Amino acid sequence: MSEELAVSATGLVKDFGGRRVVDGVDIAVPRGLIYGVLGPNGAGKTTTLRMLLGIIEPDAGERMLLGHPRPREASDQVGYLPEERGLYPGMRAKDAIAFMGALRGLRWSEGRRRARTLMEAAGLGHAADDKIRKLSKGMAQLVQLLGSAVHHPDLLVLDEPFSGLDPVNQERLEKLILAERDRGATILFSTHVMAHAERLCDRLSIIAGGKVRFEGTVADARAKLPFKAHYTPHRGGPELAALLPPDAEQIDGSWSFTVPEEGIEALLVRLIDAGHGISGLSIERPGLHDAFVRIVAEAGAAETVE
Amino acid sequence: MKVFLRGMRQAFTIARRDFAATVFTPTFLLFLLAPVFMIVFALVGGMGARGAAESTDARERMVVIASSSRAAEITAIDSQLRKLFPSRGDNALPELVIEAPANDVAAQARAMFDSTEYDLTAVLHGPLERPRILRGPRDYREANYLAELAEQVLRVERSGGTQQLSQAEIAEVSRGQSSVSGRSQLAYVAVLGIFFLTLMLSGQAVGAMAEERSNKVIEVLAAAVPLESVFFGKLLGAFGTAVLFVAFWGTLLGNLPKLLPANYVSAFSELGAAVGYPLFPLLFVAYFTMAYMLLSAVFLGVGALASTQREIQMLSLPITIIQVVMLGFASYGAIAPNSWVAIAAQVFPFSSPSAMAARAANSPEIWPHVAALIWQALWVGITVTIGARVFRRGVLKSGSPRIRLRGR
Repeated sequence: MSEELAVSATGLVKDFGGRRVVDGVDIAVPRGLIYGVLGPNGAGKTTTLRMLLGIIEPDAGERMLLGHPRPREASDQVGYLPEERGLYPGMRAKDAIAFMGALRGLRWSEGRRRARTLMEAAGLGHAADDKIRKLSKGMAQLVQLLGSAVHHPDLLVLDEPFSGLDPVNQERLEKLILAERDRGATILFSTHVMAHAERLCDRLSIIAGGKVRFEGTVADARAKLPFKAHYTPHRGGPELAALLPPDAEQIDGSWSFTVPEEGIEALLVRLIDAGHGISGLSIERPGLHDAFVRIVAEAGAAETVE
Repeated sequence: MKVFLRGMRQAFTIARRDFAATVFTPTFLLFLLAPVFMIVFALVGGMGARGAAESTDARERMVVIASSSRAAEITAIDSQLRKLFPSRGDNALPELVIEAPANDVAAQARAMFDSTEYDLTAVLHGPLERPRILRGPRDYREANYLAELAEQVLRVERSGGTQQLSQAEIAEVSRGQSSVSGRSQLAYVAVLGIFFLTLMLSGQAVGAMAEERSNKVIEVLAAAVPLESVFFGKLLGAFGTAVLFVAFWGTLLGNLPKLLPANYVSAFSELGAAVGYPLFPLLFVAYFTMAYMLLSAVFLGVGALASTQREIQMLSLPITIIQVVMLGFASYGAIAPNSWVAIAAQVFPFSSPSAMAARAANSPEIWPHVAALIWQALWVGITVTIGARVFRRGVLKSGSPRIRLRGR
């Protein structure tokens, strides 16, 4: 496994109670990138991340974390935000951040100093001395994220970091993630919210039914689907549908259909020749959301998609 | 070595957090002062019990039915004989009353047991050469006392007077070393001390993991720190609190003799340890540490398994029962230090700390303590490791699916 990879795994398998939750997952996360692990609920994302971090042991497969075959050996260079957020309610925010840093080898005093700086940068400076129980859920979640990054880890693993956050805090979190990437850290995060993945990810994997169904860039994923055309005729008529591709759907006088493999020019000529003309035409690349739905559906594991 | 040092550093980080979270709270003050409440309740209860006992004692009587000509003589001998008994407390003799004989003395004596004004323990009637004594079902001592009283009255009469013939001079001498019974008592005190301290303090550990589980911090800890270090850190944190508690009360009790009257203090001088001082208190602290760690590790493991407070309580009960059994085991060893039970108690890991503390009071050899401390430390390690693995399997739903000689 390459030194250029922050995380790599081959053939990870995990069973719980006789049920296979992760079924031969391969993953390779290059250093310095933001890497998304996408998948519907119950796809095995969290279990995969926990195995990569050494919180749980795989039943089969190999993994490498920051060049260490035993993830525990790299734990001081890793930051982790679990899906189930957890902070001591009686701790002050800056102490909670310092404590998380101290677990990873950072001195308490330095942790407190960095905590204050990080909180001010994240717009939470006023809450540095507040106890966790006084913070809103979103603020506590940001505090925990800062705690996972306070020791300047080489790898930051975030499990569903955006869940439960309002749009303002989601934007703050996106900025924090980008700032960490700019610092040189590798970010590995799981989500089933495509918008965040589309904005943030340099590369991604889509997991469904415990298996990796896609690996590549956002553009690669989107390229899995053909372009979509939205056509509004100048003049309609009963014969129009016969001229359009079979998947064409009419919505409020406009038609949506997949652009044919040979291109759209020949189709447009036929439509003009038939007297339907063109009142409006737009062609767009499908989003990650559509690609995700298609990939998951193909995997026979279509589940809840936000 | 690096892994070990990192594990220790992480354990101390967790211990520091736990210690601060426990000690810097108002509830810790209540915890620290809990013995005051216990002492106050014990005093109030004791006063009530003592009042009830004294009122019972005040109602008890011994009676001698004798002619008035002998009353002065009997009273004088009674006052001399009473010096052999405590004047107050449970072992004090009931008041002696001399009654003039009625026509039917036997009936008179029997009727006294039906008195509603006092509780008759024993009554003597008839000629002193062949006295008849009636006693209550459990009042052997009072009956024997009246028999001896009659004997002494006759002896005095025949020797010509009640005046004391000798004047003894009594002086207190302190022993060059502690007495055998003093060592035995100290051994028992050591066993009880460790038992009560661990009973009071180690139970805290049972809820230690519950906090992390309820607020989901366990996932953060498990990702950063091996569970063995989490467990050990929890143990250290709770132990720090316990040490603070013991140091506070130890200092207070250590200075208690300065406040007590001299005759009370001299009673403590009988309590000597065979290994001597200051080794005995040092060993006591070491064994308390081991007992605390062993028991707390078990409680911690149980607490980690339980998911509700009810489960914690239900699982704690068997441990407390086992602890009481260990107390009995070690106590017997303290009283009979050369018995096989004592040796077994010293070897069995969970009774070993108490039993070895008792041994330090009873026996002067040092090497068994070195061996015992190593043995107990080994068991602390085993218990913590098992607890952590049980926790990993039960809570994180992980653990190696099969035995691996080498980690991944």
